[in-house]
Amino acid sequence: MNCFDVLRQLSAEHFISGEALASQLGVSRSLIWQALQQAEHYGIEVHSIRGRGYRLSRPLIWLDEATIARHLGSQARFFDLKLFDSTGSTNTELLAAAGKGAPSGMVYAAEWQTAGRGRRGRQWRGELGASLMFSLLWRFDCGAAQLSGLSLAVGIALARAVERHGATQARLKWPNDLIAGTQKLAGILIEVQGDALGPNAAVIGIGLNINLSQQARTALDQPITDMQAQGGETNRNVLLAGILAELADILPAFESGGFKPLVAEWERRHAWHHQPVTILHSNGEQSEGVALGITDDGALRVSGAQGEFRLFAGDVSLRRKDSN
Amino acid sequence: MDLRKLKKLIDLVEESGIAELEVTEGEERVRITRVTANNQMIYAHPAPTQVQVPAAAPTAPAGTAAPAVPAIPEGEPVKSPMVGTFYRSPSPGAKAFVEVGSQVNAGDTLCIIEAMKLLNEIEAERSGVIKAILIENGQPVEYGETLFVIG
Repeated sequence: MNCFDVLRQLSAEHFISGEALASQLGVSRSLIWQALQQAEHYGIEVHSIRGRGYRLSRPLIWLDEATIARHLGSQARFFDLKLFDSTGSTNTELLAAAGKGAPSGMVYAAEWQTAGRGRRGRQWRGELGASLMFSLLWRFDCGAAQLSGLSLAVGIALARAVERHGATQARLKWPNDLIAGTQKLAGILIEVQGDALGPNAAVIGIGLNINLSQQARTALDQPITDMQAQGGETNRNVLLAGILAELADILPAFESGGFKPLVAEWERRHAWHHQPVTILHSNGEQSEGVALGITDDGALRVSGAQGEFRLFAGDVSLRRKDSN
Repeated sequence: MDLRKLKKLIDLVEESGIAELEVTEGEERVRITRVTANNQMIYAHPAPTQVQVPAAAPTAPAGTAAPAVPAIPEGEPVKSPMVGTFYRSPSPGAKAFVEVGSQVNAGDTLCIIEAMKLLNEIEAERSGVIKAILIENGQPVEYGETLFVIG
């Protein structure tokens, strides 16, 4: 018996007896009990009272294809949605599917990831129902070099979506984290497969915090926030549809016009525009400067002691000087 | 260094056919470079005495002069399509995609170039053997920089 199948029958409002669950799912009561023993592993607390049955300690809104499609409206035509209870990593699965010819617009969303990935193998932790994790496959005719800036364009789409859904304090941190104050709200990881000259398949992975428990927050190595704390929408189906709608808007525009037309909006949404920053390079060196803005291909422009320099790559963190 | 010793070293270079020999003895350093098959140069450091010793009749046929050692093995270069950071494995601690000597097929992933949290899988455009890996893991690369040589 799959734990998710049993959890789906439970509610936070009232108790359901083991007997009722057993008859609904067509299995024995002991199998129900066994399946619910796994709930803890997914960060779910199930109240169990002898004689009354089972109840969830907090409400769980499951990903639901029909709800997502309804909220996407006419833009549903761009996407092909596939939901998973549990998967290794939606990015990895979708990359593999892309290699076998999956269409542009394919979306993989999972309730649970056993090997969720952040940049360079950092783990993106989850808690059942408490974060939104999905990947979108988008095919581009252009070469890899023209995709420079895609990372920031996706950040803008995500920022627009969460702003529209109530998280008005969310800002972008270069290259594309979404933060509120100094706390991380969402992260993006993009993996590109293909030819240097094109075509290319980009798998865009997005993780958005929805309503994480205190335990999950303290388990993370960086300060985080979530949609609930930001006073925003917490229904993941609504948010997934909202983010996909923004992506359906920005990705074709990016492919035809590049990143340049988006520079001004990115800078307007930049968390630390014209503020002093400390840059931690991957080799352990630090440099200080003022974040001036970004270039037409998405590099961060910093005015430092040695003059202006541009950051393209990778393992660079930005911090406000006063938060050191 | 006495002349007899120098002569011996010159003979050694002649006979072996190697392109260059450098010997350090205390403060003295002598480098013998074979410029052409018919000519040998001796540079002495740090003493300013630079002597050119015209070689006697060549003992080695002209054709055997060692060519300059090529820095990059022959083959087809795989160049970076973008500015970014070069990674040899899918994640830190994971096994590298390829090593020198690996047999690769067209379409196999060779490395990842990351720029702005966009990870580009760089694929082999042809089959062959990895002859050289020119960038170290985690180092920045420029547009058009050669990453691998496939032979």
